[in-house]
Amino acid sequence: MTPKTKCVVLSLGLAAVFAGCGRPANTPQEADHGIAHSEMESMLDSNVDSPVHTIVMPHDEPVFPPGPGHDEFVTACVVCHSPRYITMQPRFSQAMWLSEVKKMKDVYGAHISDEQVPRITDYLVSINGKASTGKGPKGAYGE
Amino acid sequence: MNRRGFLQLIGAASAAALTSSCNRVSSVVGNLSGPTDLIRFPEKTEMILLTDRPPQLETPIHYFRQDLTPNEAFFVRWHLEGVPTSVDLRTFRLNVSGHLRHPLLLTVDELRTQFEPISIIAVNQCSGNSRSFFEPHVPGGQWKHGAVGNAKWTGVPLKAILGRAQLKSGAVDVSFNGLDVPPLPSVSDFVKALSIDHARDGEVMIAYAMNDQPLPMVNGFPLRLIVPGWYGTYWMKALSDITVLPHPFSNFWTDKAYRIPNAPNGTESPKDLAKDTVPINRFNVRSIFVRPEPDEILHSGAPTEIEGIAFDSGYGIRRVEVSTDGGTTWTDARLDPEIGKYSWRRWRASWTPSNRGQYRLMARATNAVGETQSKEQWNRSGFMWNVIQQVGVKVG
Repeated sequence: MTPKTKCVVLSLGLAAVFAGCGRPANTPQEADHGIAHSEMESMLDSNVDSPVHTIVMPHDEPVFPPGPGHDEFVTACVVCHSPRYITMQPRFSQAMWLSEVKKMKDVYGAHISDEQVPRITDYLVSINGKASTGKGPKGAYGE
Repeated sequence: MNRRGFLQLIGAASAAALTSSCNRVSSVVGNLSGPTDLIRFPEKTEMILLTDRPPQLETPIHYFRQDLTPNEAFFVRWHLEGVPTSVDLRTFRLNVSGHLRHPLLLTVDELRTQFEPISIIAVNQCSGNSRSFFEPHVPGGQWKHGAVGNAKWTGVPLKAILGRAQLKSGAVDVSFNGLDVPPLPSVSDFVKALSIDHARDGEVMIAYAMNDQPLPMVNGFPLRLIVPGWYGTYWMKALSDITVLPHPFSNFWTDKAYRIPNAPNGTESPKDLAKDTVPINRFNVRSIFVRPEPDEILHSGAPTEIEGIAFDSGYGIRRVEVSTDGGTTWTDARLDPEIGKYSWRRWRASWTPSNRGQYRLMARATNAVGETQSKEQWNRSGFMWNVIQQVGVKVG
């Protein structure tokens, strides 16, 4: 696939995301956190004696705003986990977010190049970070 | 395009598909300052949403008014995106192998019918329960106090399974793997281990029922490991493989993750991190207020019931002291009868506030071997929080 085709496919994907958001500007909105509250019907077998037990996981993932580092974030991070892993955290410092991005790359093998580390870090700081340059405590492995 | 580029493309397309629910594209506020998001997962009731994929769901505190936490309200925590969502009991097998004479492949039905069942009422608590209270803050699941639950677990002692399999001499550790799978090959599969003596103690068990029902899928259907008195990281969900090893078990989740400072109560300071760490293991002692809930408004002159739960790693709760004046004076709470050594224990105190104003309620549990709660605590991972809880209430 040529880079141009790749760009088109990505754009179509993102367009599909935004196409769903067809609300008029004057629709009353609940508290704005960029997070929709969704409820999914649980999908269980109607027959409790069935040997096959199946559920369908709901998805309720925030869509992050565009900006430098956004595309790298979506490609490298959201493939493994919901963006809520970022929004759930307290407003961390630049140093702490950098430590987390490095942990994802070095420990978990996320597909983040050396050049992408600062871009993704800056993007996360813009989403949920502190402006101060104070050093946070060293990040930990595992949770 | 090479494979890496292709995988990145798939990842982006999948991400776009996954985020297709209509969300406003606007500034995203960290959850600590916002209202609580609630979500209802299959087989579960509305729970506090920390993350959806992989899921981390917290139990609202009012469920702790019940001695046994209902299955639909029990907290949920998975590490890996590949959470099992479908199990066929006809083909599912518990695979017991390794340093033993008779490898076993057992169906759930065989576990139910070929082994003498036992039941244990035991608390399960996430290693990181209450992590959001650490100061300075640390990354990880930002739980309040609801990543804990008490349930009746029914199943087979691991000792009986290992007995049938007949260990060879020289067995050192036993590892436990579940059906969940990592999102990338570079992510270490979530596997944990116990020492052979711990595994054989007769209390570690494989549960096929939780509060007399099959486990919800997101709580580990069809089987999970129960390690009474130890933190939840060992309680392997969707348990599918048990491997006996003639050497110590080693992997990321044991050697790097889930470590605590080798110091009293697993404590260190941000400027002086512990050099020596050990795997997290048994619960410290703690108590959690059930009522009143934070910021509740009470009435002067009206009696109110203060209530909570307390637990430890199995020695037993000796006393719970309560303060209504921010820690200046303490009185003993009444303890409900003990339910079981690994169950939590309910405590109660009656209080009639005479004056209006703001009050800080505190509770401090002590166990039978003299362990008690801490006044302050910190470690880099946000584990083992047992600081004396303070609940602010307003009396009007």
